[in-house]
Amino acid sequence: MELFLLSLGILTASGLLVLLLGSFRTLCHWIFSASLTLACGLIIFVAFLFLRSDGTANFRAPWPVPFGEFSVGLDPLSAFFLITIACVALASGIYGCAYLHSYHGKKNLGVHYFFYLWLIASLVLVVTAKNAILFLVAWEFMAIFAYFLLTFYDEKRSVRRAGQLYLIATHCGTFCLFVMFALMGSSAGSMDFDQMALTHYGPVLTAVLFTLGLIGFGVKAGFFPVHIWLPHAHPAAPSHISALFSGFLIKTGIYGLLRIIFIIKDLPAWSGPVVLVIGAVSGVLGVLYALGQHEIKRLLAYHSIENIGIITLGIGMGLLGNATHHETIALIGYSGALLHVLNHAIFKCLLFLSAGSVIRSTGTGDIDEMGGLLKFLPFTGHLFLIGSLSICGLPLFNGFVSEWLVFRSLFDGVVHLDKFGIILAVMSLVSLALIGGLAAICFAKAFGVIFLGQNRSHANGVYKENPWMMWVPMAFLAVICVWIGLFPKTMVSFSLTSAASFISKEIIPAEMDSLLQPISFFTKVFGVFFLVLSLLILLRFFLIKRYPVRLIGTWACGYELLAPRMQYTASSFAEPILHLFKRVVCFKVHRSEMPLTDFPKELALSSKVVDAPEHFIFSPILVLLKKISRVMLKLQSGYIPQYLFYILFALVALLLWKFPWGK
Amino acid sequence: MILVVSVLLRFVACLLFSPFLLGVIGKTKAFFAGKKGPPLLQPYYDIVKLLQKSGVYSLTTTWIFRAAPLISMSAVLIASFLIPFGDFKAPVQFWGDVILFAYLFGLARFFTVLAALDTGSSFEGMGANREIVFSCLSEVVLFLNFTVLVVLSKSFSLSQMIGDRSWASWTAVGPSLILVIVSYFMILLVENSRIPIDDPATHLELTMIHEVMVLDHGGPDYAFILHASAIKLFVLGSFFVTLLIPFQSHSLVINAAIFFAGMTGLAVVIGIVESVRARLRMNRIPSFITGAFVLALFGLIIALARAS
Repeated sequence: MELFLLSLGILTASGLLVLLLGSFRTLCHWIFSASLTLACGLIIFVAFLFLRSDGTANFRAPWPVPFGEFSVGLDPLSAFFLITIACVALASGIYGCAYLHSYHGKKNLGVHYFFYLWLIASLVLVVTAKNAILFLVAWEFMAIFAYFLLTFYDEKRSVRRAGQLYLIATHCGTFCLFVMFALMGSSAGSMDFDQMALTHYGPVLTAVLFTLGLIGFGVKAGFFPVHIWLPHAHPAAPSHISALFSGFLIKTGIYGLLRIIFIIKDLPAWSGPVVLVIGAVSGVLGVLYALGQHEIKRLLAYHSIENIGIITLGIGMGLLGNATHHETIALIGYSGALLHVLNHAIFKCLLFLSAGSVIRSTGTGDIDEMGGLLKFLPFTGHLFLIGSLSICGLPLFNGFVSEWLVFRSLFDGVVHLDKFGIILAVMSLVSLALIGGLAAICFAKAFGVIFLGQNRSHANGVYKENPWMMWVPMAFLAVICVWIGLFPKTMVSFSLTSAASFISKEIIPAEMDSLLQPISFFTKVFGVFFLVLSLLILLRFFLIKRYPVRLIGTWACGYELLAPRMQYTASSFAEPILHLFKRVVCFKVHRSEMPLTDFPKELALSSKVVDAPEHFIFSPILVLLKKISRVMLKLQSGYIPQYLFYILFALVALLLWKFPWGK
Repeated sequence: MILVVSVLLRFVACLLFSPFLLGVIGKTKAFFAGKKGPPLLQPYYDIVKLLQKSGVYSLTTTWIFRAAPLISMSAVLIASFLIPFGDFKAPVQFWGDVILFAYLFGLARFFTVLAALDTGSSFEGMGANREIVFSCLSEVVLFLNFTVLVVLSKSFSLSQMIGDRSWASWTAVGPSLILVIVSYFMILLVENSRIPIDDPATHLELTMIHEVMVLDHGGPDYAFILHASAIKLFVLGSFFVTLLIPFQSHSLVINAAIFFAGMTGLAVVIGIVESVRARLRMNRIPSFITGAFVLALFGLIIALARAS
């Protein structure tokens, strides 16, 4: 616990230090990276140590805020999230130093580093706070610091707008949370989480609390349809901040949801089904919208919604399993969700960082302008490949392990649950299978169009690989991806421990072994895979060696050479599947009229995917709000006698109200 | 030790027997067309011939183009360890292996698609796109088929789902099992790019799916691709045959004979379907897969209704 507080102290103190020393660039830069590495290393160490041993660690200090107490504590759930946050924060922070190098002198990076360090500190507080007031304060700090980091390129109008949208969305969510915690606190008589967890809330109050929590945390997590801030915020931010956003910030929503599930306990029966449906819808629509995007960071942002969907499916199975007293289903569901939180954080952070590296080298984020970059950016390219394989949930990489856990809880649900449960599980299964397939399409498109083939914008363009400070953090994340993919046992047992503490279930070692037994097969099967692969590589080596290898251009149907323009583009790659689902994702194709002349003329074709909730739900609501506020504006005329009249009016109204009429 | 031997035997069976299926399909098609057709062992000759050729590579390509055939071949070979061949139990069985089984094919496909995009040719982009879109849809049906089998067998391990047939008496679960089998057969055709989905023998690249994707591969690489797709047919086909084998004896030889006869029978059936059906128009393929989905769904409904 002392080490943990020490790391928190390092983060805050060095944050202040870089703020003060903002003008000494190199010094500030080194303080930032050193303190970040130290603090994150400490956090990872503490959390690992904690998960290996049993028990709890708490720290309490009085805090002169009404109902508030500075009470932080580690439990397996927070420890698991701490590992996630430390990995993501470390990699994106170090990367950020190099990424922003060209802004030295142009912008005050000290301020940026300050916000970064304090954001990490508040994120750490969010996942360890044991008091609702402290939690809300940390939550609010997190929202504000994230806003300042997001609007780094504040000279751009689009960035400022994205920042505003984020701020509005997150505060709408926070509003629900305030109400929720106030209701909880008033029935529990304390703002302490442990006290709240001991309280029994009535069935009506439980339903209200759960709905408020689902909305409030759902906005942060990016559940469909309240995800609309996400695809705007991610492309606007600098890449390492997008990585942090997608890697951890949205997971705080998941953390909050899990925390209130833990606190409320007797959840209404509809909670599991509702969460499963939210997960399935977010997952499928997230990946479908991602397919329609040709801006790399927007594409990745929609993929975050998809992965939040997968996590939510796991949580839904947990809820369903708990409600029907199938503890194993609940255990596997929650542990799948938790492990996917970590995995998604790692590979999505990796993907955002490599996307940033691509954008930095090419100066554009449009996929259709790229191509053939694997030769110019070998590190970035291969790291992006590892990220893509992981996010598609393919074997050998970490995404597979957590998706397997979620799949397993769903199949267990099919075996053990009652009929209604089976129908829900099958629906989730089908959507999870569809998500996997669609994600493979999307990342075949992204990796293929960006890194393979020929370059589409400059036939002979030469791009420079980015400095080591950028790709080393990416490599760190990629190593974690492969490590969890090949040797999943450690992290799976951690996630099982966290999930078990969460549903207050003791796992006996024998049960743990039987749960981990399939996982240990993965390592063996993959070992054989590599054996077979290396044998085949040897065979091919000897076969190819016998003759000289000829290198020529790709076959162009008898023509001289293929032009880069002839290649399949991202739009053409995504068209068939979007066409299939065009009723679901508002896929619009515009083509110019075919002129009725004898000779061909230039034609134009463009396609676009419209975010339905944004355009058909939230835009009309905003228009309505604007209309209402225009009417309300008449009350705020700025004319002082009118305000005096209001005061008089209010006084008279109060007097009339309190006047003792009856007596 | 026994495990190692059984793994090696499986390996050999897959490698040796799988091209024979392609030969049988070709012979059946030739019979229906009133032709003599290529010899039964033609696929073996093709593979051996290709292995002896030299390598030609496009300047645009990277290592992914060269590695993809090897990765996909290893992945389908590993998938063969998870599935029972008739009465021969799978050497690797665990609760949930069916997902690994399905995703290993996903891994193979992902790399083949990337290799196609690596050439920068629009033909291959087109093929890659079609392959991955249709297989994405067929994967959903595959999982639904698995679900029905899970409901019927109350188990989540391939060997018990299809190999151990103590749960399956035809009178009790017949209707849903038949629906699953038909639906799975349709998916088998999609996954292995057979008629009516894809015509491996067509002469126009614009109408192909799988073949156009591997257009630029040649020499040993192409041999690996051909062999890998034969193994894929063998592995996915053995799922089908194992599910259908009505009885088992105590003799190893008879069991093996039944299994291989079943596989040959499957190849004949595929050949017959290829002979009597025309290839579907590209935009009709999703309807075909949806048909398979609906069949599996009905199978599930019947299975659930029976369980109550």
